Amino acid sequence: MINQSQFILLLKITVLAFIVGAIALPSLIEMVSPFWLLLFFTYWLIYSDSNGIYRSAFVLGILLDVFQGGILGQNALALVISSAFILSVKKSFFVSNLTTQQVYIFIASLIYLIVFLITHISVQGLQIQWLVLFVPFTGAILWPVVRFLLAKLKQ
Amino acid sequence: MRLLKLFVPVFLSIILIVLDARFSYLDNFKRFTLTLLSPIYLVVDLPSQVIDWVNDKGSENELLVSQNDYLEGQLIELKAKLQTYNNLTLENQNLSNLLESSYLIPDHNVKLARIKSISQSRLSKKIIINKGLNDGVTLSDLIIGSDGVVGQVTEVTPMYSTVRLLSDPTQHMPVKNSRNGIRGITKGLASNDRGMILKYIPLESDIKLGDIFMTSGIGNSYPPGYSVGRVKSIDENLDPSFMTVYLEPTQNLNRLELVLVIEEKND
Repeated sequence: MINQSQFILLLKITVLAFIVGAIALPSLIEMVSPFWLLLFFTYWLIYSDSNGIYRSAFVLGILLDVFQGGILGQNALALVISSAFILSVKKSFFVSNLTTQQVYIFIASLIYLIVFLITHISVQGLQIQWLVLFVPFTGAILWPVVRFLLAKLKQ
Repeated sequence: MRLLKLFVPVFLSIILIVLDARFSYLDNFKRFTLTLLSPIYLVVDLPSQVIDWVNDKGSENELLVSQNDYLEGQLIELKAKLQTYNNLTLENQNLSNLLESSYLIPDHNVKLARIKSISQSRLSKKIIINKGLNDGVTLSDLIIGSDGVVGQVTEVTPMYSTVRLLSDPTQHMPVKNSRNGIRGITKGLASNDRGMILKYIPLESDIKLGDIFMTSGIGNSYPPGYSVGRVKSIDENLDPSFMTVYLEPTQNLNRLELVLVIEEKND
C-alpha cells in the first residue's frame, strides 16, 4: 500500500511530469528530450518504501498514453519494465554517487526506449526518426537536475 | 510473488496494446480520461496565452489601424473572388441538372480554431486545437489551413481536440490528382519531417512533378476538393509494377497558428 504522504508526492510528481512533457519544444529537441515520467517516477520509487510500485507504474503509464494520444499500454508497459530494473538496483542506487546513478538512469531509459520502440514498430511499422535513440543519453545527463528539483519539491 | 506482481501489469499492458491497435472498444475510456486530464493542457498553455495577451495589449494603435486597413482590403478582394466562384457554382449546378447528374457541390460549416503549444507523443504527429465538443467539433472532422489540409480530428474533449497531421504514419487519406483525376491513398511518413507517400500507382500513370493532389471524398470520410499535397519526387524503381509518389503538404505547418474545422452541413 501507498501511504498518504507518498501518494501526495507521487501525485505532485505525476502532474509535474505531465506538464514538463507537454511543453512544446522545437522538433529536434522534442525528439531527444528524456522520458520525463520515467525520471520523475524513478525518483519517487527510490525514495519511497511502497509496495504498489508496479500498479502505480501501470496506472501512470496508461494516463500518459491517453494524455499523449499514443497507443494505449505503450508507456505503461515500458514504465513497468523499467521500474522492475530500477527496483532490482534500488539499494545500490540509493547509496551510489551521481555518476553511477546516471548509468542506472541510462540503462532504465534504454529499456524504456526498447520496449517503447518494439511496441511502436509492431503496431505502426518501422516509421521512426532516428534521433529518438539519443533519449537515454539526455535522460542520464538531465538526471542530476531532476533529482535536485524533486528534492526541493519533496521538502 | 514479485514476479507475479510484475507479470500482471505487463500482461494487462499487452492486452491493452492489442485492443487499442486492433479495435475501438477503449475509445470511450480514452475520451473520458483525456477529459479529466485536459486541465493540464490549460496549465501548459497558460504562458503562451499570457504572452499573446501582453502582445495584444502592447500593440500600438497605429499598427492595429494599418493591420485593420490591410485586412479590410483582403476581405473586399476575397468577396470579389467569391462572386465569381458563386456564379461558377450555380452554373455547375445547372449543368449537373441538365445532365441529370447526382453530383452536388458540397456545402460545409467551418469553425476557426487556434493551435495550442502543447506537445504530443514524440513518435506521432499530432497537434492540439482550442475547440472541442462544446464548440461542436466531432471526431473525424477535417482540419484545413489557408493553403490546404492539415489533418483530421482524432480525439475530442469539451475544450480541446487532438488533430492527427497528414504526415503521421497512421493517417491515410483518399486523394485525386487535380489535373487528371488519378486516384490514390496518401500515408504519412514519420521518418520524413513533413512528407507523405502515395503507393500502388500504375507505372504508366500521368503524374508530373508539381501536380497537386486533393481530397477525393471517396468513402465519405473527408469532404472533397481540398488541397493535400504537391508531387515532390517520383520513384519507379521501388516496385516493378507500380510507381511510388512522394508528396509534400501544400499547407506549411511551421508558421500555422489558426486552422479551420470543416464539418459537413446536415441540413
